[in-house]
Parts: sequence; structure tokens; C-alpha cells
Amino acid sequence: MGDDMITEGMLDMYLFETEQGLENLQNICLDSKDAGEFDEDHVNEIFRIMHTIKGSSAVMMYQNIATLSHKLEDIFYFIRESHPENVPHEKLVDYVLEVADFITAELDKIKDGEEPDGDSSSLIDELDVFLKKIQNAAPEAPVPEPTPLQEKPRFYIAPVASDDSKFYSIYITYCKDIQMANIRAYMAVNSLKGIAEDILFTPSDIISNPESANVVLEFGFKIALQTTEGPQRIMELINSSAGIENVEIKECSSDDFLDFCVEAETPASSAGEVLTAPIEQPTILVESQKPHSIELNENEGKEKSENKKDKSDKGSGGADKKPAKAKKPVAKKGEAQSFISVNIKKMDLLMDLIGELVIAEAVVLQNPDLKVPGLDLTNFQKSAAQLSKITSELQDAIMAMRMMPLKNTFQKMNRIVYDTSKKLGKDIELEVIGEDTEVDKNIIEHISDPLMHLIRNSVDHGIESNEKRAELGKKEKGKIVLEAKSEGGQVWISVSDNGKGLSRKDILEKAKANGLLGNKSEKDFTDKEVFNFITLAGFSTKKEVTEYSGRGVGMDVVVKNIQEVGGVLDIESVEGKGSTMTMKIPLTLAIIDGIIFSVGGTKFVTPTNNVTEFIRITKDKLIIEPDGEEYVMIREDCYPLVRLNKFYHIDNAVEDIEEGIVIIINHEDRKLAIFVDKLEGEQEIVVKPIPSYIKKVRGISGCTQLGDGSISLILDAGGLIMM
Amino acid sequence: MAEETEKKEITEAVEDDNEIEEVPKEQFMTFKCGVEIFGISIKYVNEIIGLQQVTKVPDTEDFIIGLINLRGKVIPVIDVRIRFGMEPLEYNDRTSVIVIDVKSTVIGLIVDEIDGVSAFSEKEITPPPSVSDLESQARKYVFGIGRNDDEVRLLLDPDKLINGTDDKEEEEEKEEEEE
Repeated sequence: MGDDMITEGMLDMYLFETEQGLENLQNICLDSKDAGEFDEDHVNEIFRIMHTIKGSSAVMMYQNIATLSHKLEDIFYFIRESHPENVPHEKLVDYVLEVADFITAELDKIKDGEEPDGDSSSLIDELDVFLKKIQNAAPEAPVPEPTPLQEKPRFYIAPVASDDSKFYSIYITYCKDIQMANIRAYMAVNSLKGIAEDILFTPSDIISNPESANVVLEFGFKIALQTTEGPQRIMELINSSAGIENVEIKECSSDDFLDFCVEAETPASSAGEVLTAPIEQPTILVESQKPHSIELNENEGKEKSENKKDKSDKGSGGADKKPAKAKKPVAKKGEAQSFISVNIKKMDLLMDLIGELVIAEAVVLQNPDLKVPGLDLTNFQKSAAQLSKITSELQDAIMAMRMMPLKNTFQKMNRIVYDTSKKLGKDIELEVIGEDTEVDKNIIEHISDPLMHLIRNSVDHGIESNEKRAELGKKEKGKIVLEAKSEGGQVWISVSDNGKGLSRKDILEKAKANGLLGNKSEKDFTDKEVFNFITLAGFSTKKEVTEYSGRGVGMDVVVKNIQEVGGVLDIESVEGKGSTMTMKIPLTLAIIDGIIFSVGGTKFVTPTNNVTEFIRITKDKLIIEPDGEEYVMIREDCYPLVRLNKFYHIDNAVEDIEEGIVIIINHEDRKLAIFVDKLEGEQEIVVKPIPSYIKKVRGISGCTQLGDGSISLILDAGGLIMM
Repeated sequence: MAEETEKKEITEAVEDDNEIEEVPKEQFMTFKCGVEIFGISIKYVNEIIGLQQVTKVPDTEDFIIGLINLRGKVIPVIDVRIRFGMEPLEYNDRTSVIVIDVKSTVIGLIVDEIDGVSAFSEKEITPPPSVSDLESQARKYVFGIGRNDDEVRLLLDPDKLINGTDDKEEEEEKEEEEE
């Protein structure tokens, strides 16, 4: 559909803008879902968003999106203009979200290169019914039923008028203090008659109706003109009459001209109605509408502020919430201006380049040529120090650029809580703390799904149904707290609820049935160990499956996702009081602290936080089983030993246990001793993936570049232990 | 230095040929491995670098020597001699790494020595003889023999070279995986 005409850039821009609009829309809805109605700012904002989406979708020729957003725009137009009192707010929020979902789905199709072919007609019909309903419910509304806006898309290409003649729309405003504006308007028309092939104007009764003077003053005077002359000549002619404040001349299409004709022919009485129903006139001109709406908004503003006073007088309960909400849209506008969006590829490139720069710097500063004895390097060293400082700052800056606040992710959760709790008929409140905490972009992508799952779990079987809560005497509302905080190089994201919590007994029963307990008695398991059973695949204590959870698929996926980014899931729970799931995730994937060690000339790195201790052991601490498995005894504890040289078939490595060194690594409470030749040092390392050409090697999660430019493999404790 | 002059001669020769025949020719980067000289289409070649420190990766095929750091990018390198089933040669200062890009996989090929650039027209490239006189497995990776007035070059298919060709090898790989 019009693929040739629509450039890639236009499509990108369309997708970007529309997505942003939809995001805003959702946020507004969720912000005000409890308020009972949309406040003035929100109504205007939604109206504006739908208007933009409608316009740009029409230009991109996505008719289904355009018509749907048009319909929603109508509803909000009506609300904005007539302030119907009894709008079923919840229903309206649902409709807005439904529309947003529909458009999002269509956008996804467009992104995948498909046609947005979804059928919006049923939704449109529903919206129609809804609109009728609220219109009928507010019969005393001052404005008659508004006809839909017939605005032409702004990129409309005007058909060229024949015989070199062009069409112009002219919009004239007069100084407010002049007399007989109608006569002055007529003079302008008169002066144009000389060059006009055809001329129309509104109000059309400027001569016969003295009242029209006020209309002209209030709303300006509009002329449609067909002429062969250019706009400059027109301007000259109009300016010859006095009292004119402003003149706008715009070339328009013949269609617009015809629209104007129809309108100009409406009976004189319509001129009076302009005051109350300006939009009823199909647009003459996009530009000419603006003054109207501005004026209207000003008027409304006054009305609304009065309304608001009334409200705040009435409802003292909701009053404390409202001011905060009113501030929000303003803040958003500010943000939009201070951000630019950058293609992530460019960022990656910049990061790579800075990486290279750091290496190049090392090469220069440690250049063997500088090691000539007797060289005076005082000045060189000074400059070198300066250079080092700048490069390290540059590194920090690019890292900071990749950090993004969790805000967007958390806002999505808001929606999920709303949807799920509504469907399940539970009354649940979501509190978000620390949404400004920043984490690496890559990590955000990885935690979104697990977080969603945890939230759903809490809503679905964490928090009890309203009746159950009443039965249990739990007075407070069901509440989920989503919190993020930085904690020593890690980000902790926790989901807590005040629901029923995990039942140790149920889990143990289920674990027993699945044969997970082994020989140990139930008492030997700590709470933590018991709760960890729920993270095993296929483990669910939920008796029936619901739409959202209970299939036993999920927690294992959550844990897997978190492990992928090097994090862990911590479960705490008190039965009857609620549970807290905490994801502990490293701040950034890109840089970690590592311990470097070598085995037979091959260097390995392992993340420092996986290392418990280094120890040199004597032969008598080594236990060799008949099958060749080795164990080491350290302070009464026994650890399985892995000799890396044997494990990876590395030659020329130290064989004698007393000559090498043992590193105890841990992963989620499990420990393993690995035997290596020697320790090389500690360094901050930048994690890079192993090229896909090399097939996955057990226990190796990536590689990194050491200070001397050589490559070292990253030993992944989890991978080794979980074998 | 000797190499450079040789290279120049070749390019000059190429230009001369072009003037006479005006037949489109494909250029091949040529290198020595053992006694034979192989060619690889220059459209795959990114650059040629000297051998640098290689980090071995355990538990990989023997011809994958390891990883090198190419200006901040980590790329795997393979030894063409070992890939061809020849005896490995101790690396010396003539040993070079040809960095190729095949379907977005960037890989370094360790070769004995860089030879130069040769150009062959389509006519001058013949399919390899079915019963090869090549002593090695190299034949598997050769898609044609380039022959012009003064040179004979074995032209390699880089895709086969890095990803393997015949079923036998795939079976082997499968077995390895199963193990």
C-alpha cells in the first residue's frame, strides 16, 4: 500500500510518534483509572494524541487505525466540549485501552512488514454506541451533537487548478476595538473582486446583518478566492483597508474551495451559531481553525477552573491525589524536549571505538620506545596522565548512556496489574518505588518478562480474592509493591504482595510427591530451600489452572531469564502475610570485576562475586574416590574438585595439587573447587560474546580483553556447577 | 620486498590482460600452504594481518586455533594447513592471517605465506579434476582451478572452508556432539 511513496524515514517516524502517543495514552489511563473521571488536562491530552494518530495514520493510509482513532477522538471531543456529567469512567478507560491495544497490534504488524489488516469495525461500533449513550445521558449539553471532523490529511496534495488560476484561503482578523468590522470586511472583499475569478466569504451576510460585525471580530473573516494573481498581490489589496490586525493567506485545493462553497451557502442564521459550534463548519483551512480552538480553550479553561474548584470543594478524599497528577503531563513535555533517540547500533559503535581508544592509549603509553634509559619523560608523563583521565571519563560516559531508568518497564507493570486484577475481580493497588533506578539497556530487555510473570503470580495467586480477604479479616486492600534499588553493584527489583504467601506445607507435599526430597527429612530443609522448589520446571501447587498462571510453567523460566543476565531470584515469604520475590541483578552486563588465573598458558577470568576463596592445599586434604572423582577437604567441608587442565584438555599444566592453587567458586549456595596453575591478578573486564562460529563450550560464558590486548575466556561458575 | 615487486608485476600483468581481452576478471588473493598456491576471491577478504597472540579455546575442533583480538573485535582463527589435513608448520614471521567475511561470519585464516593477487576470467577457471592429484584433503574446499598463461591457482570456496562440506564431517560433528 503506497510503499513506493512512503519513505522508510516517514514510516519510522510514524511508528515512533504513534508508539509514544500510545504509551502516553496508557499512562494517562492508568494514572486516572481510580480518579472517577479524566481531568481537564487528560481529556485534552487524549484528544490531542488521538488527533495526531488519526492524522498521521490517514497520511500513511492505514485506514483502520485512522477511523478507529477518529472515533475515540469524537468521544473525547464530546467530553471536552460538553462535560457530560455521568460518563461511566471505568468503561471509558477500558475503551481507550482497547483502542491502544488494537493500534499497538497493528503497529506490530507494520513493523514486521505486514499489512495492518485488523478489523476495527466492531470496536468502532461499540464506541459509537458508547458515544450515543453519553450524548443522550447529557441532553442539556449546550452543544448539539458534534459532527465528526472532516479534516483532510495535512499532506494532501492539491490538484492543480486549471488555467493557471489558484485557490487561496484568506483569514483576516481585525483589531478588537474597530467599529463596523463587517463593512471593513466587505471592503476587503470588494478590493479583491478586481482580481477574483471566483470569491466566497463567511460570514456571508456582512452587508445585511449588522450582528455579523461581532462575529467577524470574534472569529475573524474568511475568504476563499480563485485567482491567477499571486499571494503578494492579494496581500497588497487587502492591506489597503484599515484596522486589520492579521492576514493569513494560504494556497488550497479546489476541494477545500468547494467545501467552503457549501458552507458559505448555508443560511445566514448559521453565522450566529459559529459561536457555539465552530467545528460544525467543515474546515476551510487547517490553519484557520487554530485561532478558534485556542480561543475556545481559553474559554473552557475558565469554565473548567471553576469546575475544579467545585470538585475540590466536594471531594476531600481524592483531593490530595489530584495536584500530583496535574503536574505530570507538564513534566513529560519537558522530558520530551531534553531527550533524543539514538540508534542503538550507533551507541554500540561508539562503545567499540572507545574500547579501541583505550587499547591504543595503552599501546602508546607503554610503548617500548619509551623505555630507552636516560630519557626525560616528565612532560610526557604529565600529558599521558591527562589522556588517561579523559579516556576513562569517556568510558564512564558511554556506560552511563546505556543506563536507562526502569520507569517504562514499571509502567507496563501498572497496566498488567490493572488488567489482571480487573479480570479476576480483585481489588489491587500497585505501589511503585524507585522507578528512576537506572540499569543497562540490555538488562532491562531481559527482566521485563520475568517481572511481568512475578507480578501476574502475585495478582493471581498471591493476593486472595476480595471475599477471602474479608473472611480472613484482612482489612487492608490487596497491594503489590514494586520496588527497585541499587545495592552494591547490583540492582534489586522486588515484587511484594500482602497476600497469602507461600505455604511451606503445600510445597513440601508436592515436592515429596515429585520425589524431590530424597533421603532428607522435611525438617532438614530451610525455608529458602523449600521456596526454591517452586522455581523448578513443572512445579505448581496451584490446584487449578487460570488464564494467567498456575500451569507450573513460569517460575523456572523466570529464574532462567534472570540467570541469563547473571542475576539470582530470592524468595521470602510468610504464610498468611505475603511474599517478596527479589531479583538481584548486576547493574551492567558490560563490565564486571574478574579474577584472572591461568592453566597451562591459557588465561581464564571468573567473576569476582562467584569466588569464595583461594587456597593452597596439601595432598592429605585430597580425597580420591575409586572412580577417579576427586574431592578436597577444607575446614571440615568437602568440595568436589575439577582440574581445569583435565576438564579442558590443556597441556603443560601443573599436575601436582601442592604446586597449583584451588579456587572455591559458588553459585546459588552450591560450591565447587577448581584447580588451576596460578593466579594472575584482578581486573575490571568488558564481557564480549564468543563468536558464534565457535560452538558453545561448557562452562565458558564469554571472553574478554585483558590489559595487554590478549583475549581471555570467562569461566562461568553457574555453567560449571550445574553440569 | 620480493613479495611486493611480485605483486606489482601481477597487477600490471592483470591490467595488460584486461586491455587486450576486456573480459571481466575476478581477482583472487593468493597464498601458499605447503607446496600449493591457493586463491580466495577478494570479495571475501577484509584485510591481512600478521599473526598475533592467539587464545586457545578448549574443546573445539583441532583446526580452530583460537581467538584473536582484532582492534577490539574478537574473531576466531583457523589454521588452513590443519584444515587441509597437512602437517602443522611452526609459525614464523611469514605466517599471515587473512581476515575474511563470509556471510557476516568474520574469521581469520592462518596461512604459510601471502603470495599476491591473481585474476582469472570465467573461461580460465575450470572445475577441479575428479581424481585429484592433490595429496591432501584440500581438494574438498576447492571449487575450481584458475589457469592463465603463467600461473595455476587452486581456488577455494571460503564457505566450505569454514563451515565444512561433506557428510562424513557432519557425521563426525554429530558424534562429537553426542559424546
